[in-house]
Amino acid sequence: MSGHVVVFALCLAGFTGIALAVERQQEELFGHALSAAATRYLRIAGWTGLLMAFAVAVRAQGWAFGSVAWFGHLSLAAGCVFGAMAVRVRRRTRRPL
Amino acid sequence: MKVPGIRQTMSDLHIWTGLLVGWVLYAMFLTGTVSYFRDEISQWMRPEAPAVKQVPDAALVSDRIVASLAVLAPTSTQWSFSLPDARTPTVNSFWRNPGPRRAFGSATFDPATGQKLAVRETLGGDFFFRFHFDLHYLPPIWSRWIVGFCAMFMLVAIVSGVITHKKIFVDFFTFRWGKGQRSWLDAHTALSVIGLPFHFMITYSGLITLMLLYMPWSGNIALKTPEARQGMQAQMSAFLQPAKPSGQSAPLTAVGPLVQQAQARWNGSGGVGGVGSVNITNPGDAAAQIVVVRSERTRVGTSPQYILFGGVDGKLIRTVDEVGAAAQTRGFLYGLHIGRFADGTLRWLYFIVSLAGTAMVGTGLVLWTVKRRQKLPDSDKPYFGFRVVERLNIATIAGLSIAMASMLWANRLLPGGIANRAKWEIHVFFIVWALTLAYAVARPARKAWIELLWVGVAAIGLLPVVNALTTDRNLFASLRNGDGVYVALELTLLVLAGLHAMLAVRAAQHRSRVRVAKPKRSIEGAAA
Repeated sequence: MSGHVVVFALCLAGFTGIALAVERQQEELFGHALSAAATRYLRIAGWTGLLMAFAVAVRAQGWAFGSVAWFGHLSLAAGCVFGAMAVRVRRRTRRPL
Repeated sequence: MKVPGIRQTMSDLHIWTGLLVGWVLYAMFLTGTVSYFRDEISQWMRPEAPAVKQVPDAALVSDRIVASLAVLAPTSTQWSFSLPDARTPTVNSFWRNPGPRRAFGSATFDPATGQKLAVRETLGGDFFFRFHFDLHYLPPIWSRWIVGFCAMFMLVAIVSGVITHKKIFVDFFTFRWGKGQRSWLDAHTALSVIGLPFHFMITYSGLITLMLLYMPWSGNIALKTPEARQGMQAQMSAFLQPAKPSGQSAPLTAVGPLVQQAQARWNGSGGVGGVGSVNITNPGDAAAQIVVVRSERTRVGTSPQYILFGGVDGKLIRTVDEVGAAAQTRGFLYGLHIGRFADGTLRWLYFIVSLAGTAMVGTGLVLWTVKRRQKLPDSDKPYFGFRVVERLNIATIAGLSIAMASMLWANRLLPGGIANRAKWEIHVFFIVWALTLAYAVARPARKAWIELLWVGVAAIGLLPVVNALTTDRNLFASLRNGDGVYVALELTLLVLAGLHAMLAVRAAQHRSRVRVAKPKRSIEGAAA
């Protein structure tokens, strides 16, 4: 069970990093694009998080169960980050109304 | 003529393969999604059966059930029963009735007493599971061909969709609100891309589960004799066809010790609930055999693992731990598809991502109409094809939720004594579904969407109330008794009702926006 929590947290952090490395999201969140170096670090950190999640999942549950669980957490985490971004955009665009 | 580019071609392919089979796919996806909680739904639909407190000892239970079957079906040539586990509190058993026709009897037993349980006649969650590949009212072989055809189209739609989608990573987290078609497209792609590994896996493995039906030729050419074919079957299933009885009667050996022997073998690695089911052929005959089958809860693959014993002397005949590489691969993909191995968390992940897949198909279907509505010459009188798609969308998406809920209503409200009660639960499902289609055709499209979604909210959201009025296992009693399955299922129903309410509100908001646009024109007209 705790294995699941760690895997999900790492996936969530990973996708947050990857999302923040997208220029459109940077403008959305910070009002301007980040430097090329910062973007690259974010992207690397993001992918590292996803890979670490895989390692943790496989260590905790073995190859078969671990990889299935990893894919599940991957999708759920991506969905959460997507949802959070969408809600944020909505809040921001609604305010002027 | 200008030759269209690859993206345009793939986009057309994606749109039309998706639309053509979209309604069947949606129904397969949604009923398949709830099938991940098939055992839990079955528990809810059989409120007479006790909640699982502690999984009883498999060997003791086996002895009790064998004793009951000896009384219930003494002349049968085959008994089979599954053992209770954390998700199923009862023993489900079936037996082959003697005679030329392949007739089977079945019963649900209380593991604690070995006695037949007086549970209501229902297919339970198994109906949704069977429907998602066998449909209903059709010969199963036809249905499976239809379903396979749709799944193949789905695979084409997935691949062509990925090629069409230009910037899969750049657009990954993008959602643009209130932009009509653009927003629907964003939602559709997000739901598709986020669950892509699952969507691809479930479609491909779904085809694999029925591959011998769809592609029998290689097997038929390679395996010439019936024995060879039976050998292939044995690679995929632990189900043992009864051999010819010897005609000499001989008492059946005690099954309990054999189950214990199997448990010792499979529990060694620290797994739980080692034994899944027991299958006895020719009980009471000198040629009796007993197969103890390993549970599928502790491993991903579903390839058969079992121990075969002599039915009279109880001697070990054969232990099967693995099958050939091809059969093993098939078993793995099959297992990945149905997820019987999944523990609580993993099962929820399966359910949620599969629900996203359902929404992917649903948004795809709606997108087809959204895209074309803008181009309609007169939005009040769309062309015939548009109306067909629009109405089928309403009946499929809003209607199926109502139909599924109505089956649960029927489960609680149909009286116990009526003939073919289990069948009537299913008839209610289809009658209600047909009624939603009639309603969708009769009403203006937007009104039909909103009204049917609200009906869905009531049909799903009131189920805990219906349950509270018809059984003594209401939500508060379940909470008090720590009955996790009932609590989780009814809370999930409430969440799903909330989801339908959100959709209904969104649909209504959408309508008002169009309304605002319309009077303007008439005011201008009046002013002129």
